[in-house]
Amino acid sequence: MAYSFDFPAVFDYTPVLVDGVVLTAALTVVSTVAGVSIGIAGAAARTSGVKALDTAVGVYVEVIRNTPFLVQLFFIFFGLPTLGIRLPEWQAAVLAMVVNLGAYSTEIIRAGIQATPRGLIEAGESLAMTRAEIFRHIVIKPAMKKIWPALSSQIVIVMLGSSVCSQIAAEELTFAANFIQSRNFRPFEVYFVVTALYLGLAVLLRWLLARFGNLVFARRAARA
Amino acid sequence: MPEFTTWDILYNLILAARWTVVLSILAFICGGIAGLLVLLGRVSPLPWLRRTMNLYIELFQGTPLLMQIFIVFFAFPLMGVETTAWTAAVVALTLFTSAYLAEIWRGCVESVPKGQWEASESLAMSFTEQMRYVILPQALRVAVPPTVGFSVQVIKGTAVTSIIGFVELTKAGTMITNATFQPFLVYGLVGLLYFALCYPLSVYAKRLERTLHVAR
Amino acid sequence: MRFAKFLGAVGFAAALFAAAAPGPARADALETITKAGVLKVAVPQDFPPFGSVGPDLKPLGYDIDTATLIAKELGVKVELVPVTSTNRIPYLTTGKADLVISSLGKNAEREKVIDFSVAYAPFFNGVFGPDNVKADKVDDLAGKAVGVTRGSVEDIELSKVAPASANIRRYEDNNGTISAFLSGQVELIATGNVVAAAILERNPPRKPVSKFLIKNSPCFIGVSKGETALLEKVNAIIAKAKTDGSLDAIAQKWLKAPLPKDL
Repeated sequence: MAYSFDFPAVFDYTPVLVDGVVLTAALTVVSTVAGVSIGIAGAAARTSGVKALDTAVGVYVEVIRNTPFLVQLFFIFFGLPTLGIRLPEWQAAVLAMVVNLGAYSTEIIRAGIQATPRGLIEAGESLAMTRAEIFRHIVIKPAMKKIWPALSSQIVIVMLGSSVCSQIAAEELTFAANFIQSRNFRPFEVYFVVTALYLGLAVLLRWLLARFGNLVFARRAARA
Repeated sequence: MPEFTTWDILYNLILAARWTVVLSILAFICGGIAGLLVLLGRVSPLPWLRRTMNLYIELFQGTPLLMQIFIVFFAFPLMGVETTAWTAAVVALTLFTSAYLAEIWRGCVESVPKGQWEASESLAMSFTEQMRYVILPQALRVAVPPTVGFSVQVIKGTAVTSIIGFVELTKAGTMITNATFQPFLVYGLVGLLYFALCYPLSVYAKRLERTLHVAR
Repeated sequence: MRFAKFLGAVGFAAALFAAAAPGPARADALETITKAGVLKVAVPQDFPPFGSVGPDLKPLGYDIDTATLIAKELGVKVELVPVTSTNRIPYLTTGKADLVISSLGKNAEREKVIDFSVAYAPFFNGVFGPDNVKADKVDDLAGKAVGVTRGSVEDIELSKVAPASANIRRYEDNNGTISAFLSGQVELIATGNVVAAAILERNPPRKPVSKFLIKNSPCFIGVSKGETALLEKVNAIIAKAKTDGSLDAIAQKWLKAPLPKDL
């Protein structure tokens, strides 16, 4: 019995697909804002010179970067209730993605900060700026500009990683794919369409992040 | 129903972790070989080959690993090839690895100074000879740290194969969790085992970067 | 430029799929099985007492015993292929398994895609939960979180009758659904009566006590569409097993009760 393709069967469920796309996008936006914020804070902590802070954040970073995202998600969703912390699937998914992106961002941004030319910092010190002021006005912006491509890649990776949140019944795009497939028994066609949607999301996200980077971190000519 | 002690849990997880290791090694080696071919296509002087390989890389870097695994798992039988969860896992991870390694290595190849290309071309070397004798040996030095670093991603990627039912460390974790009602302990141990596998490689990659650091 | 790249990548993927021509028409399954001497049966691993694992992670259960029985009658070896609720039908339609013996319920949508044997096991779908959650009838589900395995008969039936404000959470496989219930992520679970009983037996932290039953949905064996020879043979084997008591023995072992007369 040869297999015959049936793509219209997928588009019967277009509302489900749309929901999936919207929810994946929402999940990504929220996680990115929170995750990058944690990254900046974490990088600041690691370069602050306070050894205890550096080690503590270091442990967090290494644990997250050396364990799979799926396991982190299951730990939060299925494991934490044992301690009395029960997070419903959206909160669990966001928390997992934020914690994950936060660790990677910390390292990426830290690399950017550590590449700040010594001369700039000394100039700030000679103007009697505090460490916090130096960080805020002199260090962080050029650092972000430098590492923005690497950070953008990581954000796209996290967006694609949201796919496993389907496993805790968060109704994002992969969940939509599996739901439709379980109703029309056309896994091949469904997965093909959803993969194309993810590809579109990735391209769109990369473009948006590039525009954002140019907008916020571009050096203003007047500053020269 | 049989009872699990903590040692039973750990023992079964470690047994399952063997499959994680086997899958990772296999995917890394096959992915490496495939990645080399993709790389050669990506930097080749033939425009159509460059573009095809570029699209291949865009495809695998722009879609979730989970979707790639699902597609391999359901598409191959349609081509008449019998697939188990194991074969699908190996194939999907290999393709995934090949795309990422090809990109990593491309960056390394492009870091080789243009003068090297010109000098070897002026010696009437063909493209293959240039790659083999001049470019790749130099790119290799820069490539080792990020390649070792990517092996960690491969190990973490094997966790996703649990979703199509391949019994590696994560799948064993979900099965044992329901048999023992101890998700915190079980997933904690699963995380620890992954950490034990990945952290040494991460540290090694960092050390390599320091010692093999190519001064700019 | 970006959009062109995107289209190109999609086109590339499409070309890859187009190159994958649909598989050749399969030879008669019964012939293939007898010739190869192996019967591939898709069985569950996360759905006691039909299919689960012991500490050695080997499969055991009602469905596994049934599969072994059928293989013996056919004179071939049995190869157990572990599946989840969501991929068991795709396994059959893509030829990865010859039979699906996985507490499979029959309904109209599935009948379009696969063929069913006669019933081989009794099964009631229902909603279960701890004593302190009130849910005596389906309308009580309003505003409550119910876990169910995606694509199962419980999922389809519950989705038809549940009130609009019921929060139905669908998990990828029974492992996920049971995990969600045990960890308290969902208050109630919609599953089979014997499955809830098997969980209760192990003294779980949250007890799935029967709240109400949704449907009497016995289990059938799934066969690929059009494989009439195989289907007839399987039906004959099940009929024989019912009369000579071997199926009853399996029922006693796993369900702790004899087979209902009207199965």
